[in-house]
Amino acid sequence: MSEQSVKQSQPLMDIRGLSVEYLVGDRRLRAVDNVSFTINKGETVGLAGESGCGKSTLAFALTKLQKPPALIVEGEVIFDGKDVLAFDEEELRRFRWKETSVVFQSAMNCLNPVISINQQICDVLRVHNPAMNRGELQDRARELLRIVGIHPDRLNQYPHQFSGGMRQRAVLAISLALKPQLIIMDEPTTALDVVVEREIMDQLSELKEQFGFSILLISHDLSLMGEITDRIAVMYAGKLVEIAPTEDVLFRPQHPYTKGLVNSFPDLLGEKKELTGIAGNPMNLFNPPAGCYFEERCPESTEQCKKSDPTLITLNSQHKAKCHLLS
Amino acid sequence: MKSIFAFYRGNTPALMGSIIVFTFILLSALAPWIAPYDAEKRVARGHQPPSAEHILGTTRSGKDVLSQVLYAGRISLTVGFASGLIATVIAVLLGVTSAYVGGRVDAFLMFLTNVFLVLPGLPLIVVLAAFLGEVGPLSIALILGLFGWPGGARVMRAQALSIREKEFVTAAEVIGESKWRIVVVEILPNMVSLIVGTFTGAALGAVMGQAALEFIGLGDPNVISWGTMLFWAQNNSALIVGAWWDAIVPGVAIAVFAMGLALLNMGMDQISNPQLKGSKNLKQWKKLNDELQANRKKKQESRKIAGEVVEG
Amino acid sequence: MGGYLSSRLFYYIAAFAVALTFNFLLPRLMPGDPFEIMFAASQGKIQPAQLEVLKEQFGFVSGPWHVQFWEYIKGIFSGDLGPSLIYYPTPVTEIIAGSMPWTLLLAGVSSFISITVGLSLGIFAAYHRGGKLDSIASPGLTLLGAFPQMVSAMLILFLFGLHLDWLPISYGYDPDIDAGWTLEFFLSVASHAALPLLTLVISGLGGWLFLMRNSMINTLGEDYITMGKAKGLSGRRVMVQYAARNAILPVVTAVALNIGFLVAGLLIIEMIFNYPGVGNMMLTAVSGRDYPLLQGLLLTIVGCVLVANFLADLAYLWLDPRLRKS
Repeated sequence: MSEQSVKQSQPLMDIRGLSVEYLVGDRRLRAVDNVSFTINKGETVGLAGESGCGKSTLAFALTKLQKPPALIVEGEVIFDGKDVLAFDEEELRRFRWKETSVVFQSAMNCLNPVISINQQICDVLRVHNPAMNRGELQDRARELLRIVGIHPDRLNQYPHQFSGGMRQRAVLAISLALKPQLIIMDEPTTALDVVVEREIMDQLSELKEQFGFSILLISHDLSLMGEITDRIAVMYAGKLVEIAPTEDVLFRPQHPYTKGLVNSFPDLLGEKKELTGIAGNPMNLFNPPAGCYFEERCPESTEQCKKSDPTLITLNSQHKAKCHLLS
Repeated sequence: MKSIFAFYRGNTPALMGSIIVFTFILLSALAPWIAPYDAEKRVARGHQPPSAEHILGTTRSGKDVLSQVLYAGRISLTVGFASGLIATVIAVLLGVTSAYVGGRVDAFLMFLTNVFLVLPGLPLIVVLAAFLGEVGPLSIALILGLFGWPGGARVMRAQALSIREKEFVTAAEVIGESKWRIVVVEILPNMVSLIVGTFTGAALGAVMGQAALEFIGLGDPNVISWGTMLFWAQNNSALIVGAWWDAIVPGVAIAVFAMGLALLNMGMDQISNPQLKGSKNLKQWKKLNDELQANRKKKQESRKIAGEVVEG
Repeated sequence: MGGYLSSRLFYYIAAFAVALTFNFLLPRLMPGDPFEIMFAASQGKIQPAQLEVLKEQFGFVSGPWHVQFWEYIKGIFSGDLGPSLIYYPTPVTEIIAGSMPWTLLLAGVSSFISITVGLSLGIFAAYHRGGKLDSIASPGLTLLGAFPQMVSAMLILFLFGLHLDWLPISYGYDPDIDAGWTLEFFLSVASHAALPLLTLVISGLGGWLFLMRNSMINTLGEDYITMGKAKGLSGRRVMVQYAARNAILPVVTAVALNIGFLVAGLLIIEMIFNYPGVGNMMLTAVSGRDYPLLQGLLLTIVGCVLVANFLADLAYLWLDPRLRKS
């Protein structure tokens, strides 16, 4: 599936040299470091890594939703030939949700508890389509709920009246409201049980088929990604360490960190193997080493790895990895 | 020493509040040595304006205002702290018991707290004081303390409940520590800032309450406190006859001390609720964020111009 | 919904019962016979026979306490609170009815101003956190709220009433003007209420601002705020419909404390400005040892406070859909 879709695609969002820092007292902590990759039209890209590796920070930065103390210090996010990061408030307001919507990590907390689902769908419709009248708004809101498998009669209910899975569906419905070209999903199913996760991911595949939007799926769960993504990018300590078509990442990982990550999940195809995981703890970003950031935990580290940080090496047109062993 | 420094770093309200409160404590404690005159004796003619002899003037009955305000601080501060202590002890006892014992005890104690929370304290106290006749400082401290706990008890309970859910308490429970030990060793130390905050809040309420009761005329008019000074000033129409110092001096003393306690309370709030802290960092962030945004904008503008030139 | 309101109502009934019991027990627990004191205080306005009627009305009948309590409760709920001693034989209810409008005027107008202005400033300060308004007005007004009301009342009276002589400093209206629905009377009432209102607003504003600001700051960290921004809603909409709409909930629950503060303020401010309201009347009753009037006033004040709390509960219910049952 991946090969052909990638070939035909044209870029939708081009992330170039994006760096995000956290201001902690007088110090700066680099949470996202010079990350570049492209999301093509209609493509699903996975962004994987341990918690704290900067993947959520990156996701927020893509639509300039970073909160204090996070600062976007470098880079561009090119969408339709324009740099989103240079947008002023008004341009940003028009861009957000219309072009790129976001499904947040916890549907529990990202719905406003005191206004109805109806209002939460309609406010975003109204602000981007001021011409829509009451009836049209209602029709569209009902349609959106139907699309994600919620009975439209529940439109006027409040978030607390929905179950966890239904809330996530409602968030999905809101994210589809303006038919955006890209949906960023930050751990969309982490809070849900496996059965509900299954249902929602199936639904998502169908919807994607139907509407053809692109997805940036952020997760720590590689097996979940394997089912839906075309390509996977792997981050470690704020840096992009490997990016390749899904099959390559899962079956032919090149970076030692990706190998460890792949090995720490049960095999999709049911083949028995030993789960190894990765030894050691995520590094302290306050004290970055001179060499490769992964060196300390790397089972294959060499002398060179201690001295210098490797660059992202192009292995083939689709596959890049950031490791001295590959040069 | 180091921890004291760390405590005040970046917490200006706590620092300013502490300075004010400690200055008042010091001045009151030293009153017998620093007061220029006997506060209870007539030392000059009535309603003398401030002069070199009487820095803050004299009262209608010819007593030295500075000496009075210093001695009055002893009574007012003692009543404030004593009833603050009573209210805090009750609040901690009820709040923590309620949270930790749970069940019917919790339901009953919270019922009691909510009932007393909605009753307006001052009118009740006024009626009580009216039946008691003139009430001395000791009775005032007791009454105010016994009426001042409900707000604190509710906050204590909420905090104790949330601490009870924490891992280290669960761990202690699993090990089989006794309930008392858990409360004293694990829960209370984590509530220190809230307890201090409740104390300063209750003491603030008591200082104001005492002043109000005495000002209204329910206190013992022979005791020298800030409230009775105001009572006499009001009774003698000090402001109307132009002897502003007679009313303003005790008024300012209460006001400044109350603000010291309020600042201390704000400071404790910042510790219990760290989200409220650090607008200094926020300012720096805003500045940097704006700079970065301006740079991006500039870069884009220049590129647009360059692009137009190429196209043209 | 029914559950929430009935449990709240239960608190209020219990609180009122506590106030009644308090009223019942006080004269019985205090040393000395309250009726002797009253008789002495009335300076011959009351005849011994009338005193006996009074005694009965307040449940001072022979018999055990529970019988007395029953008589007392019957007396209260008959709606007849007896005659005042100072203004004998004017009924207590008539005196309360005469002074209540003045207090409601002060309480209502000052609360309306402090709440609307305080909450708006709180929202604004939290939104522009660390900005000019926030760094000056937030701590400044909060500290002003800790300023003792009697001191601010005296200062305001001194400055605007005496020194500048802009506004009247005593009573509710000019007694030379006939009370009635005339512009002249209305202006007189407004100018007499101005200084007491100013004092009440100054002392009340900071509390609302402080509560709202801190609640907003906590709310602004929530995910639904970020989602509101991500949806491309206007900053104003996110601030009002998403942040303030949620942040106001803890503020409404803190209303009880604010009402207590307001009542205390009214008592003192009415006294200083000699305003003809319930608070001033209460102090008159205290100094005249007018126990029937005192108890009537106390029960009225407690009743009003409980009703105000109940209104706040209704507001909470209206604002938070989670409390309404589906």
